[in-house]
Amino acid sequence: MINIKVKCFSQVKYALGANEINLHLENGSTTLDVEKIIREKSNGKLDSVSLRIAVNQQYQAEETELKDGDEVAFIPPVQGG
Amino acid sequence: MIITPKELNDQLDDFTVIDIRPKDQRDEFPLPGIYSVVSENGALPKIDGQKVLVCQFGIVTEGIIIENELNDTFSLLGGVQAWHEFYRGQKDFSRWSRQTVLPEIGIEGQKKLLNAKVTIVGMGGLGCPVAQSLLTAGVGYLHLIDGDTVSLSNLHRQPLYCPDDVDEKKVDVAEKALSKLNPETTIQTSGTSLDEQNAEAFLAEADVIIDATDNIKTRQLIDQLSKQLNIPMVYGGLFQFEGQVSILNVNGSPGYSELFPEIHTDVETCEDAGVLGMLPEIIGNIQALEAVKLIVGIETNLIGKLLIYDGKTHTTEIIQL
Repeated sequence: MINIKVKCFSQVKYALGANEINLHLENGSTTLDVEKIIREKSNGKLDSVSLRIAVNQQYQAEETELKDGDEVAFIPPVQGG
Repeated sequence: MIITPKELNDQLDDFTVIDIRPKDQRDEFPLPGIYSVVSENGALPKIDGQKVLVCQFGIVTEGIIIENELNDTFSLLGGVQAWHEFYRGQKDFSRWSRQTVLPEIGIEGQKKLLNAKVTIVGMGGLGCPVAQSLLTAGVGYLHLIDGDTVSLSNLHRQPLYCPDDVDEKKVDVAEKALSKLNPETTIQTSGTSLDEQNAEAFLAEADVIIDATDNIKTRQLIDQLSKQLNIPMVYGGLFQFEGQVSILNVNGSPGYSELFPEIHTDVETCEDAGVLGMLPEIIGNIQALEAVKLIVGIETNLIGKLLIYDGKTHTTEIIQL
């Protein structure tokens, strides 16, 4: 099992009501597994929100396997002015 | 050896200037823009490094240098009279002295700012502080693009506008307010929204484009043109207490389409999601700071990085793109 920290930004933070969440996952879990969990926890509030994922402050274009202690950030697009 | 006023001005930091004139002459004709050492009695102070002697017309100092064979010392050609003439024709950099004193800026950096052309798309919560800060920093040309008029609900976060301006074109009010802050900056306004028809013409002349829009569709259009024209784009976005900033499309660095490749454009705006007025001020000023770094050439910047600022916790996260 691995422990990871999820950092939530803008709509994700708003949808989950938390800045950070700690997850206990099976070995071999990936960024997509975490995204599924996050979307489920949001009770549909993130259904129409595109999310970009960073692991340890590095953008991940592809699904990435996670290791113990990783920090996963979900970054939605935001509007402006 | 002789040095002209322009040469001295260009290398002012490399020289010690020694003013050999008597006090009454110094009082009547001070040396603007130069910190000088005084030598009244003919005995030159022992100072290492390159020196420039200054007298009223440049004749006495030339004589001293030849007579004493001072090979490491220059005479200011035309003396204080010539310096005054030269200095009057120069910009008065003293306005920016608190930033030119920074080694990263200096006079050379200030000149780059004075010659820079920045186009700001959107004169709302982000555009107002960006324009104010760039203009007061000395950016020489600003092009403000916005088709909106001022509404009452704008005022809590758009400090260029006041209640009397409601229903007026934002770019017209902004131009008036900004001109007072720095009349030397050339301000061009376009009171229409950026669209596919006008985008290239509006953006092509810029050195830097500021994305201060309130919607993703316009941001995507700016991104497309920024790539096509190879003009960097400083992106800023807001959500409630949070903001994002990045410098995009610098010689092939990631753009907005790489930042968010698949995107729903119906993301909540400030109108839907709400925003506290200080947030766009903070994020807009970070955008202005990044634009200044880009223009001056300060390499520690947000190219290839996304800054996320949280105004509730005052934490920042920098993601490598």
